Amino acid sequence: MTTAPEQPGSELSLTDPATYPRKVLFVAGAGRSGTSTMAGLMRIMGLHVPQPEVVADETNPKGFGEPRWVVDHHDRLLKEALVQVSDSRPEAWFETGRVATREHERIATAEWLESHFRVSTELVVKDPRLGWFIGLWRVAAVRTGATPVFATMLRPPAEVVGSKQTYYANRLGSAHLAASWLNMMLHTERGTRVGLDGGGVAAGGRVFVRYGDLLDDWVKTSMHVAETLQLQHVLHADSEQIREGHRFVDPGLRRMSQTLADLNLPKPLHELTASTWEELNKLADPGGDTPAVHEALDQLREAYVDLYEEAAAISRSSVVAAEQRLKRQRATAPAGRSAADRIPHGVRAAVPPSVRRWLRKVAGRERPAAG
Amino acid sequence: MSATGSGISNLEGHTDFDIVWPWTRPGGLRAGTTAVLRVKDEARSLPWVLPPLLRACDHVLVVDNGSTDGTPEVTAETAAKAGLADKLTQETYPFSVARAGAEHLAQPERSVHSLAYFYNWCFAQVRTRYSWKWDGDMVLTTEGEVSIADLGWQVASGVQSAQSIIRVPRHGLYLESDSKGYLDLGLRNAEEWGFPIGPDFVFTKAYEWEIRTTPDPVRSIGLPHGLCVELKYLDGDEFAHWTDPASFATSYRNKRKRREWTVYNALLEGTVVPGVHEITAPPGVHIVDFVTQEWLPRAPRPLEVGLPELAPGSPAQLALARREAGG
Repeated sequence: MTTAPEQPGSELSLTDPATYPRKVLFVAGAGRSGTSTMAGLMRIMGLHVPQPEVVADETNPKGFGEPRWVVDHHDRLLKEALVQVSDSRPEAWFETGRVATREHERIATAEWLESHFRVSTELVVKDPRLGWFIGLWRVAAVRTGATPVFATMLRPPAEVVGSKQTYYANRLGSAHLAASWLNMMLHTERGTRVGLDGGGVAAGGRVFVRYGDLLDDWVKTSMHVAETLQLQHVLHADSEQIREGHRFVDPGLRRMSQTLADLNLPKPLHELTASTWEELNKLADPGGDTPAVHEALDQLREAYVDLYEEAAAISRSSVVAAEQRLKRQRATAPAGRSAADRIPHGVRAAVPPSVRRWLRKVAGRERPAAG
Repeated sequence: MSATGSGISNLEGHTDFDIVWPWTRPGGLRAGTTAVLRVKDEARSLPWVLPPLLRACDHVLVVDNGSTDGTPEVTAETAAKAGLADKLTQETYPFSVARAGAEHLAQPERSVHSLAYFYNWCFAQVRTRYSWKWDGDMVLTTEGEVSIADLGWQVASGVQSAQSIIRVPRHGLYLESDSKGYLDLGLRNAEEWGFPIGPDFVFTKAYEWEIRTTPDPVRSIGLPHGLCVELKYLDGDEFAHWTDPASFATSYRNKRKRREWTVYNALLEGTVVPGVHEITAPPGVHIVDFVTQEWLPRAPRPLEVGLPELAPGSPAQLALARREAGG
């Protein structure tokens, strides 16, 4: 007879974090939106950032709060799906979603999460690429008996685009950056909505946080996050942790002050960006995460998909020209030599025929059978 | 059957049940997903089937076909209890539909009694661009629910993605009581359940049942095992919708039904065949909730599914295929 798999947790004790139910807070949102500040604050309040993490640099001197494994994992998955971090194609969501259905990726993600739940019952996972893999992480949480919860950071799109241009010397232009912001935010909102309707087992909740609110009054804002998502470590943080929070948050972090008009976007993109920001903002108000706002965002998402497809259809000649350029480059490039060809003949001859056959098989370069 | 023109008229002249292709209607289709359930006497299962499905999809359409056990009432009550009645639509299809097997084979495709016509009529009621063909006894696990929910909005993200088919594996869960069941992981079986709504994806006739047409090539995605169970009642008649259950023994295409027949009859005789897990829920938890919300989501991965002798390329299965081909 098969018995029940081991269940985590027992009676909740406010003074013993080991009894807190397993929970993982995923910090989502566009890069340069205050995701590092949110993850850093949650760490100070007692949530565990899985180690090792990405080291701080001049673009983020207080640290990223990003687990190294998560960044590498997402990088590899994005490459497999042929999706960029700032990808403005709506179709890219299906490509990353498809990768997330693969069993070996679900296993790897759940195993990594499980290993860190052995360190702490409440984790915080943040990476600007995370939005692409919300479904994969939700599955990993389900498999580890944890409740997934989401905090999405909101920052005016003009500031996000300006910050990216300043810090990353982005050469792709404001229209591309605004479009990828729209794509990320509209679909992240839809992705974190899964499980909210009707309260399924995996429905842990979500919260939207304005970066400005976090900088203005992080105490009030983080308590709202903790109460909405039932983050026990934050709810029971001690005085020293609160002092550390004040030392950590720098209200001067918000250095950008340009407006949407400064970006000189094409009119339809400007209007969509402005309307999307307006609707997303409503989600951050108390009681603002309502079906009416979801409906408005659904319409905006459809409008963005239509706008992108229209633009892609108009610019098809650019794609064809790029494909032709690549073909020509491949045709004129010198033929590559195989690894075996680069080994001197004398050395190759010393390898026994059976081993050579095996090596060819492993390399996928088997010779046809004689006869 | 092809999806030319604006629809299909049935042979019997029931004009109120003629099929109007939904993409030809004014306003066309909207974004989103609809799960379509064709049900007959599923009142027992629907309280487990509907809540996760209603949470995972934008819409659920339940088409009743001659139930006598209060299925429509249970459907409405379940959706209301879940707080998701706004996502539910109920329809009634009043004609008797041929049972799978010989009865189906004898029916003309455009008869209201044909499985293909019935399915086309059901899916013609859908107003979204993507659909899930669902059964009245299929229950999503927690992981299945979130997987289906995610794919539902992801397929709507572009023209290419919207033309994909999604395969969902399912496993038989044989219920002995409210606290005890038998989960069959002996057979690897994944069927195509997610389809776009459009002229390339309509139903037509196959030998034992209906089949959905697809363009060539078509993109197909498979979900992992352990996301969906199919409820079977050891005190019920699980094979009533077949003309002749004895036909399972001779057709290679019916390997799932044949396996179900074997497992079901063995369990009735008190035997648990290899590949079947006997599971007991903790006190106070229903076996279906326990299997779908705890046991399967937390089971070690990769899930051990499929006995070697039931694999498509195994000697036993190849011999069966040869016998069927007359070789």
